[in-house]
Amino acid sequence: MAERLSNREGIKGMANPTRYGMLRVAYWLQRLSGLGLLAYLIGHIYETSTILNGKAAWDNMLSLTETPGGHIVLVIVIGMCVFHTGNGIRVMISEGGKGIGRPGQPEYPYKAVSLSSKQRLCIWVSIALAALAMMYGAGVLFGN
Amino acid sequence: MRESIIMKIHYGTALGAVALVAVHILMRLSQNFSDSLSYKNVLVNYHLLPYALMLEVILVLLSVHGFNGLRVILLELKQGRSYERAINYGSIAAMAVLIAYGSRTILMAGMGVS
Repeated sequence: MAERLSNREGIKGMANPTRYGMLRVAYWLQRLSGLGLLAYLIGHIYETSTILNGKAAWDNMLSLTETPGGHIVLVIVIGMCVFHTGNGIRVMISEGGKGIGRPGQPEYPYKAVSLSSKQRLCIWVSIALAALAMMYGAGVLFGN
Repeated sequence: MRESIIMKIHYGTALGAVALVAVHILMRLSQNFSDSLSYKNVLVNYHLLPYALMLEVILVLLSVHGFNGLRVILLELKQGRSYERAINYGSIAAMAVLIAYGSRTILMAGMGVS
């Protein structure tokens, strides 16, 4: 009983990013980037609604967002958006049963076939694309 | 509604949003970024019916996808009948409020009420 309880880590066990390798890190990045993008969507909808209050209100809002700080936030949003898209497509394909290997006999050292090099490569490609998009976005935003 | 159907909607809204948001961003990059955000330019965007319709579709797709994603995260953290019901209805309500607020901007700016 005591041993069974000691194995019950609850959310901490599920959320531990040091377990299950790269896939758990991708799981965390997907959720954090999703929450960030939802926060940005709400902010963006509020920001654009100021256009209804006339040119002065719109220009006032732009004076807050068209700043180096605002541009840094936008660059981070670009990165989150590209990673979320790339990794999301990987998750969709995996959920369709592609690229996760075939189930087999559990043999020592119990290496899960789903943690394949293809999956890891897709995650790294998503991160690389996000970094490239951030660099391009920074060039456009700070180049003006 | 079955979770499998909700996830299909989640993935469908994601793919639709990716395509349309790409067009939305390309419109900003079709000219100097700062110029594209000028008051006059943004109003012209809203007055263009196909573009305004696209913004409305993006708003719906992203609201559905975003709040369903938040619902999934919250349901992963905790379970329970009343908690799950609160999260499900809360997500739908938040989604509806955001769509209504965004649609108000698109409609009023499109009709020239600014």
